[in-house]
Amino acid sequence: MATADPSSVVMNLPRRDARDKLLGRTRYTVDRMSPRMLHAAVLRSEVASARIIRIDTTRARRMPGVRAIALAEDAPGMHGIGIADHPLFASGVIRFHGEQIAAVAADTYEQAQAAARAIEVELEPLPPVLTMADALAPGAPLVHPDWKSYEVLFEGAARGGNVAWEATVIRGDTDVAFARDDVVIVESCFRVGRQNHVSLEARAVVATYEDGRYHIETSTQVPWTVRNMTAKLLGVPASQVHVTVPPVGGAFGQKFDCTLEPYAAILARKSGQPVRLVYSRQEEMLTCLCRENADIKIRSAVTKEGEIVGREAVVLMDCGAYGGEQIFLTTMTAHTLGGNYKLGSIKLATRAIYTNTAPNGAFRACNGVYNTFALECHTDEICDAIGMDPLEFKRRNVLGDGDLGATGQVFEGDVLGPMLDRMERLRETSPSKKHLAGDRLYGRATVVGTWFVFVGPSTATINLNADGSATLITAGVELGQGTMVQALPQIVAHELGIHPDDVIVRNADTDAAGFDLGVGGGRTTVSVGAASVAAAADVRNRILTTASELLQTRPDRLVLRNGRVEIAGIEGSGTTIAKVVQRAHQVTGPVVGSGSFTNPGVPAMPGCAAGHFIDAIDIPVFNVHDCEVAVDAETGHVEVLSYKVVQDVGRALNPRAIHGQIQGGVTQGLGYALHEEHTIGEDGCIRQDSLETYRVPLALDTVPVEIDLYEGAPSIGPLGAKGAGEVPIMNPPAAVACAVARATGCRVQQTPLTPPRVLALLLGREPAVELPHIVDNWWDNVLIKPKAQ
Amino acid sequence: MPTNLVINGEDRISTRGSMTPLIDVLRDEFFLTGAKVACREGICGACTVHLDGRPVVSCLVPLATVEGRDVRTVESLAAAGEPSPLQQIMEEHDVVQCGMCFPGILMVLTSFFQERPHAERDDIKAALVGNICRCTGYERLVDAAAALARRS
Amino acid sequence: MPASTGERLYVATSLADAVAALADRGPAGAPLAGATWIMRAPIRREELRSSYVGIGGIAELRSVEMTDDEIHIGACVTHADLIAALAGVEGCDGLVAAAGGAANPAVRQMATVGGNLCTSDFPASDLSPALLCLDASVELRTPSGQERVPLGRLLDIRRTLEPGTLVTGVVIARKPVQTGHSRLPLRKAGDYPVAIVSMAVALGSDGLIEDIKVAVGSVEASARRWPQLEAQLLGHPLDPAKAYELAKAGVGVFAGRESVEAPGWYRVQVLPTLVRRAAQAALAARQQR
Repeated sequence: MATADPSSVVMNLPRRDARDKLLGRTRYTVDRMSPRMLHAAVLRSEVASARIIRIDTTRARRMPGVRAIALAEDAPGMHGIGIADHPLFASGVIRFHGEQIAAVAADTYEQAQAAARAIEVELEPLPPVLTMADALAPGAPLVHPDWKSYEVLFEGAARGGNVAWEATVIRGDTDVAFARDDVVIVESCFRVGRQNHVSLEARAVVATYEDGRYHIETSTQVPWTVRNMTAKLLGVPASQVHVTVPPVGGAFGQKFDCTLEPYAAILARKSGQPVRLVYSRQEEMLTCLCRENADIKIRSAVTKEGEIVGREAVVLMDCGAYGGEQIFLTTMTAHTLGGNYKLGSIKLATRAIYTNTAPNGAFRACNGVYNTFALECHTDEICDAIGMDPLEFKRRNVLGDGDLGATGQVFEGDVLGPMLDRMERLRETSPSKKHLAGDRLYGRATVVGTWFVFVGPSTATINLNADGSATLITAGVELGQGTMVQALPQIVAHELGIHPDDVIVRNADTDAAGFDLGVGGGRTTVSVGAASVAAAADVRNRILTTASELLQTRPDRLVLRNGRVEIAGIEGSGTTIAKVVQRAHQVTGPVVGSGSFTNPGVPAMPGCAAGHFIDAIDIPVFNVHDCEVAVDAETGHVEVLSYKVVQDVGRALNPRAIHGQIQGGVTQGLGYALHEEHTIGEDGCIRQDSLETYRVPLALDTVPVEIDLYEGAPSIGPLGAKGAGEVPIMNPPAAVACAVARATGCRVQQTPLTPPRVLALLLGREPAVELPHIVDNWWDNVLIKPKAQ
Repeated sequence: MPTNLVINGEDRISTRGSMTPLIDVLRDEFFLTGAKVACREGICGACTVHLDGRPVVSCLVPLATVEGRDVRTVESLAAAGEPSPLQQIMEEHDVVQCGMCFPGILMVLTSFFQERPHAERDDIKAALVGNICRCTGYERLVDAAAALARRS
Repeated sequence: MPASTGERLYVATSLADAVAALADRGPAGAPLAGATWIMRAPIRREELRSSYVGIGGIAELRSVEMTDDEIHIGACVTHADLIAALAGVEGCDGLVAAAGGAANPAVRQMATVGGNLCTSDFPASDLSPALLCLDASVELRTPSGQERVPLGRLLDIRRTLEPGTLVTGVVIARKPVQTGHSRLPLRKAGDYPVAIVSMAVALGSDGLIEDIKVAVGSVEASARRWPQLEAQLLGHPLDPAKAYELAKAGVGVFAGRESVEAPGWYRVQVLPTLVRRAAQAALAARQQR
């Protein structure tokens, strides 16, 4: 047998980067310094909407220490996802408070800041649209009057005016469903705010320009995106941009786009010196590429027996001044809000709306977090309406083997149902913490969630060295999630019969590794992992061929184990892998293998989805969360008493690391559920500009999460693994909101459930969320027209 | 006017301005990049160092106020390159993720355990209220610290 | 002499040196103690002053001295020092709770009593209400001499103090009172409270309140006493439930400040609960002895 034995995987591999991180020796991008390095600062707009009349840098250029100034003319290109609507610098018009107008490089950061302030900008203010309701109002000013002229990078979506993108799903006939006389119709509205990633390492870059090429060392999740976008913006061939990535100090989706790298690149070319640009915490708070605020309206037609015969929903996502990730993320609604449950018929519309506010972006489990909040609260409202226990309702309706998803894809395997059973056992074995509520209000909820691993293209190269070690070259990045220091070396070691410590993992470098979509969406273990498996298989074949000659044994009788090639069943019969590689050097040349992987594609029902980047999901990942809360009726404080997670992981290669991801993801989700919120002032500026006013969970604000890893669900990932880091954040707002609604008897329509908001609910002074800008007739909310019957 | 200070046991002279935050002196002048700048408002704790043995947020310490004083950074915890018991237990329990917050957390807990070597879990959590960790959700690193407290 | 160094921050070596340096700098200068507020000026988009006089290291401002009659707290005593000095001292439970709940542990090592009282733009000071209800007075040193003013007076005039004025210490008369401090952060801890109630109560042998001071912080721009509630509680037993009811009926005297963290109505709405909790804390302090 020439295949590797799955039981031989080294489990719970210690992180190789932990020691230096603990010693304070790890050099993140923010720690990189070099001789002659300049410091950059960005001049930003302090109004939300304006026409630029004049920019004069004369005085700034004469300021001490100034070496280069970059302006709109230095970056002629436009970038975006789906639509190229975003220039690097405000060009002609200002579209949001905080928009970049110019960048300055100087000997010190203070000099760069002073010079940036000395740039004279003359503006003619324009009326801004700050909310999605305003943007959709008849006659609203257009954030992008020239939207029709933009380059479309992905065809198939409806667009128009302040609607940057529209994705729709239509399956079955909801009109028939809603007209049935045996159904109850339940309608719910929800509104959520923005969530800031607060990566402790702010976005940061050091750029140089050498030998006619840009070298960009940056804190990113997407080295290839940075390479290609920088080239597009600067109007240079992509081959002139070289991106490397040091250890990243937290990202959570914020660094899934090219943002500040091109500024540093331009300044490095103009000055001929290395340029460092690190955003201040205030810049990060005000222009972070947050999880977007959203407005959601859902209607369902449900029979008394709890069958959901029809569902219609409209989700409005605020993309801010430029489309960015939100264009792509409109796809997610189909698989999150449209997930979890069997639906007889469905109409979904998800629209990314332009406003004159800071652009939003990707954040861990993206729109799944608030769509799950909305879906599970709506589900509880349905259960109230038909008088059914929510757990019973979920058992009857969760997606199982052979069921259709929103876009008509056929799900494989019963997963959510058995996971609900596992949660029930967890609830039975771990006693309720109700007694800790004291005289406060007590509530409990169990919620479900559907996310998916977004796979997409990856490559890997493995050099098997003459000392028996292997060097793995990918464009994967270590953000803290552990994939690069745990799962990948484990997977490669397992394939090659060596110890994971003998697998060297190269940091991402676009000059060394081939294309990769980037680290996000839980895809690294799966996609980079699968590419690595393919590369390892290539290497293994080469070793076996050479070993077969050395050992005079057929390759299919050889096994790789403990750094040796053995004849199957005869321990000690073979030789070391190192010796085989050394032999190969003489006869066939050094041993190198390569592999690549991409989305295999799961079919959806033709014609169901329009404007979607992904019609069906490759690897679903399911969640069941349970939460107990106590609510102080006098102050509105919500305390989480207990939190339980049953998570579908496919196969757990590193249970300890997955537990770490779940504890961390749940805590971030609790932050969004209870504390974290950005709001926008009348001037269009985000009001929470520091960690004093934007409150992330601190050590006392979380609880130990009780975890049960559900293994065995189908997965195309290597060794049956699924990405485990993305999903834990998805359900906490749903779980907390449902529990708070039950504790208080109040309808919860918004997060975060801050003490003032909860107290306002209890006192009846919180206005209901009604969303008049989403109208009752679903067709009146969309640009697409019904097909002629 | 230059400022004399003792950093990790060595006499140093800084030439930065008197109001320069200590963190910038440590990182930019002496290349001790273990302590991190993450908020500059004394809330995240990533820049925590010991000043005369007490933990302070070095982003809010003006250079001139440390004249003649003793500064210890995370780089000093591993005497002779051997990780401290606290560093070791964090490694053993596999609690590190991105790692940016750990220098500050280690400095706070090192000082805390000197006063309260047998502290309970809840006290450890309260001691960490000035340290933001965005990756781990705290509990597992608190478990590791509590295990050390039980061991000592 | 101090002014000649050209440095923005001059670190004074003695009180006399500090007073001279401040006089020398006039309106351009300001004292700097723990620095935790001033160093955040860029985040508030404020310009730094052109000149500061560092007083945090002056030994005579850093001690807590207790006699039978009074407690003298130097202006540069940090929150952490204050806790160490006053833990377990009768009448000081509320003040210790205030110092121990403020900000976070590292900031408590740095931030000083004087700085907490003098920062006029900081409404959420924990020490202000705790010291107000202890009838604290503040020692001021000016170029022309020394004076002692009630803390309430300092809070009123602190924006317009004559340049060169330095708060050197806080004095509390030692009285047989029980104190409680109740603060309401939006998280469990680590953020500024949106409302604070501090209470000091003297109970007679008959269990009736002989003297009571209640102070409210963070609700309005500056902490202040709640004399109407004090008058209603005087002469009755200290009953937290009753105190809650009285507070609920009387909160209309406060106008809550609006801010990003919390709406004004919320700060006022929670006051009765904080009154009850402060009363419970004061009773607990009595029982422990």
